[in-house]
Amino acid sequence: MSQQVAEPQVAVNIKEEQCSRCSICRSLCPFEAITKDAETSKIILDIEKCQVCGICYSACPAKAIDTIYYDCGSLLNYLKKAKPKYDSDTLVIMCKGSAPDFSGVEQLFGVSNFIPLSVPCVGRISEELILQAIAMGINKICILACDEDYCRFERGSPLTGRRVLALNRLLEQLGYGREAITLKRNSLKVKVDRDLCISCGSCAFYCPYGAPKLESVGGISFDLDACRGCGLCVALCPAFALDLDNWEKDRILALIPRLLAEIEPPKILVFRCQWAVFPPLDGESSPNVRTIELPCAGRVDAFHIVEAFQKGAEGVLIAACPEEDCRQEGVSAKAQHWVKAFRERLKQIGFGDRLHFCTVSRRDPEGLDKELRQFGQRIEAIGSQKEKK
Amino acid sequence: MIVTILKPLDEILDSISPYSKVLIAGCDGCTQPPRGLREAKTLSQLLELAGKLKGKDFQFKVLSLVKQCDSFLTASELKSQMDGVEAVLSLACGVGVQTIAEIFPDLPVIPAQNSHFLGQEDREGGILEDRCSACGDCILARTGGICPVTRCAKGLLNGACGGARDGKCEMDPERDCAWELIYNRLERLGKLDLLKEYRAPRNYQAKAWRLTP
Repeated sequence: MSQQVAEPQVAVNIKEEQCSRCSICRSLCPFEAITKDAETSKIILDIEKCQVCGICYSACPAKAIDTIYYDCGSLLNYLKKAKPKYDSDTLVIMCKGSAPDFSGVEQLFGVSNFIPLSVPCVGRISEELILQAIAMGINKICILACDEDYCRFERGSPLTGRRVLALNRLLEQLGYGREAITLKRNSLKVKVDRDLCISCGSCAFYCPYGAPKLESVGGISFDLDACRGCGLCVALCPAFALDLDNWEKDRILALIPRLLAEIEPPKILVFRCQWAVFPPLDGESSPNVRTIELPCAGRVDAFHIVEAFQKGAEGVLIAACPEEDCRQEGVSAKAQHWVKAFRERLKQIGFGDRLHFCTVSRRDPEGLDKELRQFGQRIEAIGSQKEKK
Repeated sequence: MIVTILKPLDEILDSISPYSKVLIAGCDGCTQPPRGLREAKTLSQLLELAGKLKGKDFQFKVLSLVKQCDSFLTASELKSQMDGVEAVLSLACGVGVQTIAEIFPDLPVIPAQNSHFLGQEDREGGILEDRCSACGDCILARTGGICPVTRCAKGLLNGACGGARDGKCEMDPERDCAWELIYNRLERLGKLDLLKEYRAPRNYQAKAWRLTP
């Protein structure tokens, strides 16, 4: 153990000395994590209630709030590097919760070459970032937010709508023309292949939102307004009759061998809920680990887990949100339940220890790394045991 | 539904080890969730993986049948699929396994599951419970919709045995006393007088093994 005590990283922090106590953050926080102390009128953040959406960060006029994920500086750094790389002056900022793939984005905004910037909730994008991007020579900015009632952080999408309205007015006055920023909304939902559906009702049984309706005549139908795109029904459909926009099973299937080919043994594939931990902007650099982001741990699929082992993964790690942080009505816990059962099956063929389900919180930026280190050691130990034999 | 549980994979591997080309037949029928295409596909992946560790290369063909117990449907769906198939691994209940065995008398058919009972699953706990013994002489109308033949450990027909403690069975303290459940239910329904009816011992010799409806 190292004697050095590193300062623990905090996902969001209010710097008291800079805070003007204006309470804007408090009024915008969707989770009532920010309060004003009645005696001292200090603004206090309860990190346990904080869901790390970044809305307070982007709204603070005094720049008194720090976030370790996607702060304005690191987003601008990314832009500086990405602009020549993509050779484009069009920036598409999208919430990863509702962003389709590249061709989907192209279609949606009618752009062909663009700099992609995928963030967990566009609510964390400040006016400053947009203006700085324009100052950097970005000519066209498109923002893709979630449909308002689909926003995982409740206020991120509506707030972005108001910001774009105000910014567009400002930019028009500055001579950038009308609608300098294009805002669109989207959500990713379940789709049924009726030819494959066997009307068993499993989806209705598992869905936490009551979206699937099974009728004895007419079979299954989905109330898409109710669907929140967690993918649990897709992962558990006994007939492979369901799929999820942008998270199609075949797309994930194709990713598995491609990612595993990029890395060295001991190869570890991570299936991670997109809300559990926010990844670094410049992608993965570990020589042994690759990650497949999923809309929620509910989309983790037994079929994909075994496929990963078949294609040479030595370990599969599933990173879900802790139950209290799950943005999907307890789907994380439901996923944990079936993964546990499935692990028993893998145990029977000697792969049980090669599958690990863990919960990591976006509040703890080092949580996933810790899990990965421990899991990596476990996988190496299994490997060397085998060699001894 | 018929409640089935997958056999230990070692046992399945052992049963299919003499064969190379094996058809894994799922069943979309009454088990919940159905042991359909997904279950068949995942089982094939697991067995492939386990086979490789043992130096055995299986060739699996994977499909799912609407109802394996329906001999007409199963015969018509399967007949064109059997080219080169050396054995069938069935994900149906015992009825489905036997249906395929009857359709293909020269082919080994291996059950992938153990069939347990006719039961139901609670949504939250994932617990499966026996509900019907298919006795052929249903008395649910007189017992408040709760079956003592199945749920009373002693299968008593005329009320509680007297051994229950705190509503639990003396044979198994986890298990509710079926007759206490029946009493409470009949009380709610205002039909406690049904308990005064005498029910003669069952005639087990009359249990049907073949019916012509």
